[in-house]
Amino acid sequence: MSPLSIIKPYFAENRFKICIGLLSLIVVDGLQLVVPRIIKWAVDDLTAMSVSAGALGLYAGAVAGIAVLIGVFRYVWRLCLLGTSRRVEEGLRNRLFSHLQTLSTGYFDRTRTGDLMAHATNDIQQVRMAAGMGLVALNDAVVMGAAAIGFMAYINPTLTGLVLVPMPLIAVSARFFSRRMHRRYQTVQASFADLTEAIRERLAGIRLIKAHNRQTLETARVRAASAAYLDENLQLVRITGAFFPMMLLLTNLSMALVLFFGGRLVIRFTITPGDFVAFISYLALLTWPMMALGWVTNLIQRGRASLDRVNAILETRPAIQDATDARSLEAPRGEIVFEGVAFAYPDSSTPALADIDLRVDAGSVLGIVGPPGSGKTTLLNLIPRLYDPMAGGIRVDGCDVRRLRIEQLRAAIACMPQESFLFAGTIRENITFGGPDVSEQRLVEAARAAALLDTVYGFAQGFDTVVGEKGVMLSGGQKQRVALARCLLADAPILLLDDPISQVDFETGEAIAQTLRRLAGRRTILIASHRISALAFADRIVVLERGRLTAAGSHSRLMDVSGYYARTYRLQEIEEGRDAA
Amino acid sequence: MRPEQDYFEETRLGKPYDVRLLRRLYPFTRPHRRMLGWSIGLVILITLLDVALPYLTKEAIDRYIVPLAEPAAGQRTLSVDLSDPLDAAIVQDRFPEARIEGSVARIPYDALARLDPEELAHLRRGDAQGLALVTGLFLILVVLDFLLNFGQSVVMEITGQRIMHDLRLRLYGHIQGLALEFFTRNPVGRLVTRATSDVQNMYELFTSFISFVFKDLVLLGGITAVMLALNWKLALVAFAVLPAVALASIRFSRRARAIFRTLRVQVAEINTRFAETIGGMRVIQLFRQEAANQRRFERLNHANYLSGMEQIRVLALFMPLIEALALAAVALIVWYGGGRVLDESLSLGALVAFISYIRMFFRPLRDLAEKYNILQNAMASAERIFLVLDTTTALPQPPTPSGGSAAALASIEELRFEAVDFAYLPGEPVLRGVSFRLRRGETMAVVGPTGAGKTSLINLIPRLYDPTAGRVLINAQDLRAMPSALFRERMALVMQDPFLFSGTLRENIFEGLPDPSPARTLDIIAAADLEHLVTRLPQGLDTPLGEGGGALSSGERQLIAIARAFARDPQLILLDEATSFIDSETERRIQQALERLMRHRTALVVAHRLSTVRSADRILVMNRGRIIESGTHSELMAGRGFYYRLHQLQPAAGPEPAQ
Repeated sequence: MSPLSIIKPYFAENRFKICIGLLSLIVVDGLQLVVPRIIKWAVDDLTAMSVSAGALGLYAGAVAGIAVLIGVFRYVWRLCLLGTSRRVEEGLRNRLFSHLQTLSTGYFDRTRTGDLMAHATNDIQQVRMAAGMGLVALNDAVVMGAAAIGFMAYINPTLTGLVLVPMPLIAVSARFFSRRMHRRYQTVQASFADLTEAIRERLAGIRLIKAHNRQTLETARVRAASAAYLDENLQLVRITGAFFPMMLLLTNLSMALVLFFGGRLVIRFTITPGDFVAFISYLALLTWPMMALGWVTNLIQRGRASLDRVNAILETRPAIQDATDARSLEAPRGEIVFEGVAFAYPDSSTPALADIDLRVDAGSVLGIVGPPGSGKTTLLNLIPRLYDPMAGGIRVDGCDVRRLRIEQLRAAIACMPQESFLFAGTIRENITFGGPDVSEQRLVEAARAAALLDTVYGFAQGFDTVVGEKGVMLSGGQKQRVALARCLLADAPILLLDDPISQVDFETGEAIAQTLRRLAGRRTILIASHRISALAFADRIVVLERGRLTAAGSHSRLMDVSGYYARTYRLQEIEEGRDAA
Repeated sequence: MRPEQDYFEETRLGKPYDVRLLRRLYPFTRPHRRMLGWSIGLVILITLLDVALPYLTKEAIDRYIVPLAEPAAGQRTLSVDLSDPLDAAIVQDRFPEARIEGSVARIPYDALARLDPEELAHLRRGDAQGLALVTGLFLILVVLDFLLNFGQSVVMEITGQRIMHDLRLRLYGHIQGLALEFFTRNPVGRLVTRATSDVQNMYELFTSFISFVFKDLVLLGGITAVMLALNWKLALVAFAVLPAVALASIRFSRRARAIFRTLRVQVAEINTRFAETIGGMRVIQLFRQEAANQRRFERLNHANYLSGMEQIRVLALFMPLIEALALAAVALIVWYGGGRVLDESLSLGALVAFISYIRMFFRPLRDLAEKYNILQNAMASAERIFLVLDTTTALPQPPTPSGGSAAALASIEELRFEAVDFAYLPGEPVLRGVSFRLRRGETMAVVGPTGAGKTSLINLIPRLYDPTAGRVLINAQDLRAMPSALFRERMALVMQDPFLFSGTLRENIFEGLPDPSPARTLDIIAAADLEHLVTRLPQGLDTPLGEGGGALSSGERQLIAIARAFARDPQLILLDEATSFIDSETERRIQQALERLMRHRTALVVAHRLSTVRSADRILVMNRGRIIESGTHSELMAGRGFYYRLHQLQPAAGPEPAQ
């Protein structure tokens, strides 16, 4: 797909507007070129000293009339052409947003948020600029430039030829400068990124800096980064600082040529004083299109590069999507079977999971324990297809998850990730996702089940308490319980809980365990936890160590066969003060 | 890695003008006032040059190109000096009707058309020479204008960037000096934005302020003055459009302010939603909220589109209006000025100059909207910056260190906690009544379950926080009574998750210390068991480590942190043992390096592995913020308490078993 085809529809949709806009632009250009003619007539009449006040009034009236017309047509083209570019911006942004939502977890693992944000902001803006002002400037440069030269040549071709000598220089040097400016600007940006990183790094490591008395040293480091940024800016200004004065100089050189050669022509009666004055005006009108020509080619090039980058994202196919012959999952029961499943993250030499064979009957509760990094989270993530296994397969109700429609598979699963992610809305919105069909009663039920209700009623705004960006207003345990309530509200046959009570106190943890116990039998629950006591009600517990299942069975069996399990259990018994000693 | 951008904070907007903020900014410009003076001087000079150029054109027209009208004659005449015989011949031959006054002949301007070009060129050779002279002068001014403009840009950039450099360092220094508690309340991303993007916005404020006050106002003033001097009546007539301009500007800026503000808030909202969606993508996908989220986003995006259209409409009205008014002023000049040319109170050149001037006059008015926007943006940044600068949560340092206390810290003889309470948040104590004493040369281990307060205890020793009650003493002196630098330089902190700076391995270990001898460098590398790493890295010790030390394993990072502690040769080691899972071979190497590090030094170790603990001189057992047991390993084992039971569970081999 050609990148340009992404924005074509918006141009097609607005082709009428664009035509009107371009037409108006051409009319404006034409009218602007008429003004110097009128002034020429006035000047020639005034030179001859033979003009009535009425004629002067006529000239003035014509200029005023043209002023009004120019104003009207300018308004029209601005509205039509710039409006289209806004439309392109909106459409492109919507597409990018919706496409990102289809991409799989692996994509976000390897793509930095900052980069994606840069595409969403800068690149789209560049495309808008190219599609709006770029188009206008290009049109202006061509139409206005050609017409102005035509009018000048009509007055005197030789003088026109002379005056135009610096003009190509303007276009060429505008192009040359804005290219170098762009490159320099990028090094400035890079240096700004270094400065930002230098400061970020130090603020992130502030504890060490303070404890090791490194303040002076680190300030010197920041000073160096800041000074480097300063230097880069000074390098940049050597180009930008020369650019506009250079343009001005070249224009003024043309002006000097008019003054000298044009003046001589008037002296020798080859052209009239009015022609001379008109010439100066045309020159002024010509300068902008010439500068624009250089500027616009860069603008359009940059817009094109941005469009390519956006296109690259839009072309990224989701690694995980519905199979062409995807089956639907009707009335899911919630039986889950792992068969010889293996998985490794990219860039990792050791597999995160290997040889996992596991069967979880519908309505049963499976506990998963294991040291950090043993693959518990990965195991859970494979079920809703956040990742696909590299070998083996996972079946839900007897059907491989890769053959099911993702939408329905995920509808059958309520998942609580280890890191509870909250959106910057209210507690209600975070639990219900703003679903209008969720009754207050169901919301309260879910919150109660997640041991959240008392906490919510403790807030002045109750469920309408705003949680702030990523839920900053709440404590870790509160966030966790909001995420749990979200899960419980979903009413799905499969419940995946990744360390659901790691941040709540013991009593709350017990209350949550009670809830889960009540759900047992009705839902298939997979629960990974560091706290073994939270798994006491599980039908079966498996021990994961280094990506392999090392033991499985009931609590009492694991106490006998798994060294890790038994040791961890006793340790926690002491920590939680449950041993009577 | 790019820092997480702060997309959440930009919704607040400043007033476009806030004199209070400008006044606070002033002290930062003081050290650079000479450069600033140069910069302003150059701006004024350039503006004068800009005003001079149309005047030169006027002079060229009036003096040489189009002869002035003769007073009361109602026509233009060319004066020819008859002393040149050829001139005299031409006049005699072609203009028998010419009026001759002494040695000067006056020839009607339109009659000149009768001459052939050679004759005309000869007759008006003086005019041609004068024209060349004016053009020459024009060229000189033009080149001068170029040089001055370039110089001014550079000087302005230097001045502005230096001021911002100062401001940035001041801000960084201030933030760095704030107590750790400040950092738990303010995300790093936000603070970074203050010192980077916000300072950048201030730069915009600075340059646009200077260019507005000194360039635009001086230009407007200069043009006005020249126009009034040329012909005050015509100037006033041309200015008749100004009330309309003023009215349009005022009305416009009111509408523009509202629309720019809405746009900025909406763009910030869109960015926030984007960032949030990317961050919460898993949750959105797992709960199948894509469609709902898309709808919400499209609503925001469409609102932004509508505001964008509104902005276009406002600008599409204002900008053409201003240009139309400029042309209206030209029309007025043609009408009234033309009449004055006819009654000879204005020269033709002056009329042309008036047209140029009025066009110049309107140029700065067109960019009003953009300048306004920049100013508003910059004021909001200024406000946020000063908000940080006004925060004072630094732990108070004693006035000036007395010689006595400095001497007292030649060595740390004793560290003592006296009934220390500590809480990060009021009402949520993490340490309660902690008292202990650690003498020089001893190793003390702190054990206990997660959340017992072990790391908090370590944080109090280099005075990263102050206790909420009780005292922390070194050599019987309260930490609050001496400059922190004094005791910090005798300590080394080895953290759970070692923090590596981007820089070379050598810098990470030795930076800030006097250059060690090669032999000592080797010793330290050997003692920290880093030889493998150094030989593995392509440039050895001088290999730059990736940002955050990404390419290194967590075991290697811990060894580097240990080497860093060795290099500091501290008297007191504070060690927060790592809990993360490391393979047993690396674990053994780390243990051995740590043992070498602690030998002959005072050490306080937060231990997770009981093997580390066994060799300690004393063990503090903590639970829920309190010390519940203390003693040597054998004492505690004999007491058969908490420690005994903990110990029963871990095999003597040490690290987590590998089955």
